[in-house]
Amino acid sequence: MRLRWNVIIGSLTIIPGLLFGGVATGYLLGGLADKHLFVGAHHLVNVVLLLLVFVMVIATALTLAERKWSAMMQNRIGPNRARLPFLENSALSGVPHVITDVLKLLTKEAFIPKDASKLLFNLAPMLAFAPVFALFAIVPAGPTVNVFGFDIEMVAANPDFGLLYLFGIASLAVYGTSLAGWSSNNKFALLGGVRASSQMISYEVALGLGLVGMMIAFSTVQLGGPAGMSDLQSHYLPGWSTYLGPIDVGVPQWGFLLQPAGFILFFAAAFAETKRAPFDVPEGESEIIGYFVEYSGMQFGLFMIAEFVEVVVLSGVLIAIFFGGPYLPFGNLWLKSLFGPDWQWLYGSILGTVFWLKVVLLCYLQLAIRWTFPRFRYDQIQTLGWKILLPIGLANVFISGALILWDPSLKALAIAGGIEILVLVALTLTPTPAKSRADAHIGHHGPVDEHGHGADHALPAGHH
Amino acid sequence: MDHAHDHHDEASKPTDVRERLFLPELLHGLAISTRKFLRNLFGERDPNPQVVDRTGLSLVTTVQYPDEKPIYPPGYRGLHRLVPREDGKPRCVACYMCATICPAQCIYIEAGEYSDDDHATESRVIEKYPTQFVIDELRCVVCGLCVDACPKDAIRMDTYKHTPAEYTRQGFVYDIPRLLRGPPVTHPSDPWYKRGSSEEPDHVHKEAHTRIGEGLVPLKLPGGHRVEVDTSNPVAVTKFIK
Ligand code: SF4
Ligand code: SF4
Repeated sequence: MRLRWNVIIGSLTIIPGLLFGGVATGYLLGGLADKHLFVGAHHLVNVVLLLLVFVMVIATALTLAERKWSAMMQNRIGPNRARLPFLENSALSGVPHVITDVLKLLTKEAFIPKDASKLLFNLAPMLAFAPVFALFAIVPAGPTVNVFGFDIEMVAANPDFGLLYLFGIASLAVYGTSLAGWSSNNKFALLGGVRASSQMISYEVALGLGLVGMMIAFSTVQLGGPAGMSDLQSHYLPGWSTYLGPIDVGVPQWGFLLQPAGFILFFAAAFAETKRAPFDVPEGESEIIGYFVEYSGMQFGLFMIAEFVEVVVLSGVLIAIFFGGPYLPFGNLWLKSLFGPDWQWLYGSILGTVFWLKVVLLCYLQLAIRWTFPRFRYDQIQTLGWKILLPIGLANVFISGALILWDPSLKALAIAGGIEILVLVALTLTPTPAKSRADAHIGHHGPVDEHGHGADHALPAGHH
Repeated sequence: MDHAHDHHDEASKPTDVRERLFLPELLHGLAISTRKFLRNLFGERDPNPQVVDRTGLSLVTTVQYPDEKPIYPPGYRGLHRLVPREDGKPRCVACYMCATICPAQCIYIEAGEYSDDDHATESRVIEKYPTQFVIDELRCVVCGLCVDACPKDAIRMDTYKHTPAEYTRQGFVYDIPRLLRGPPVTHPSDPWYKRGSSEEPDHVHKEAHTRIGEGLVPLKLPGGHRVEVDTSNPVAVTKFIK
């Protein structure tokens, strides 16, 4: 069996290596900024590093990954024709296509249709792009560690109203979409914009309800900081941890374990807000093309990249709330104790790398979902939002609240969550009886019946 | 118990709890996508142009066309060629059969005459040859009728290549230098085996033709050397009904 060792080794070294280098740079630069400028200056470094470098670079890479990974899922090769001038024999996994895309978008005419509302038409791409970016400001991408004597937080801003900021800004993104739809003076664009806003309204409720359980469980809406959701998830459930030699193991209070239903609700709702398949009726390439049908050049590019930034940001938010932030499921204390007080930035960088690796994995999940599920019909989207997600969300809030009231140590909640996960796994792994029934039918009615009941079953119904 | 009724119900029912719950079925779908993704990402692609024969982990069915070319099936009607004789001249005798039958009227022929004092054995027994033989491949409908019509097996579509792309329309007009290629073809029935010169009429030598075909008389090949025909196996003979 021949394997692509260059790809295996490359993806196992280059991706973590780049991420580690970036995070380590962030911690060290942050420490230097605090030391030489003023205390808290590392937040400025984080704004540049996390928002402009990490999120932007990963989003740009996703524009390629979307095509390349979808090709892999569909037994194709994907884009590989753009070559660098001095490396004409190697497709470099399609990376040169990123350059050609950018060149094309930048050099195309930015066309404004006649009778379009010029101000709003130009404003819409920015309105779609900026809020998505701003969302990442509150997502902690690494633990708070001591570098050069200063506590460095790996987050651009850490307000105590964290999740409320998230809800507020997330709802703003739809303004760009609906404005683009309206100002284009195009019926298809308008349809897309209207669909986007109605979809946003249907899913905003489920989005909030999905997180209420977590807010009750941790009694906070803050994401970063020692009392934030991200750091709280590094703790084990009280009494459910032990030491295996030097390594601490136990059941971590990850949001995914405590609130599987909440996770699915939030994920589905947030996915709907990113307007990607199966919730892509606002775009609907095959029917209305969507709210950006009149946009060209870099204005279209902004909509496009905003979509991928949304994917990255959603992954970051999901990890901070449901997948233990930057922390490993176990062994965090042991890892921290490995490094002396001067080398804490190494500990931070390792966990920061873990965070970004989780982000990449969740980005993969979102891309896989987009390339696996067909688009929901418009009425199915409304049904799912109002008749399925909303009741489940309400029930989840009440059940979780009751369990937390009964057992404030969250163990009851974790057991309930574990049962939910087990039921889902069991349902997924057992074969669907519908299929085996269908097989049986073929057996019974087929010309050859091994069981010898063929004649019996071939009789018309009345003969029994 | 009403079987027919059962059957109808099952077909129209939204089946069982897994499918109504969405999630298990969605996870199944994701598992399929991920399995393919991992196999294609980490498995080396077998570049065998015969896609169904590919082995290995990768499931990719792409044939990277200009670098890898698919093998066409036997009998594929490819780009035309004018079949050469052993001495490199076209077998074509400019009879216009192909140009006449061509439904697209894309063959253009101008005939010339071999002079009497031509010394090549082959040419001495043939009267006509094409001075111009042009096929407009862009108008050709690839029906293959020209090949069937040719009495001299002089035009074939056995190149197993399709017409390559060109920058101009004129590029698709193939003339003799571009058409005359491929392995030369010789038949026992070729006139230069049957008579010494164009003065001798064909029918005199009909017997010889048959006897060569049945392997009773050795084949005379240009260049002087003789080949013993193996009579143990059936000999591939092209006979033309006159
Ligand atoms: S293949 Fe058909 S259309 Fe093409 S040259 Fe021959 S007879 Fe004409
Ligand atoms: S190619 Fe064959 S059919 Fe056409 S002119 Fe020549 S001999 Fe006649």
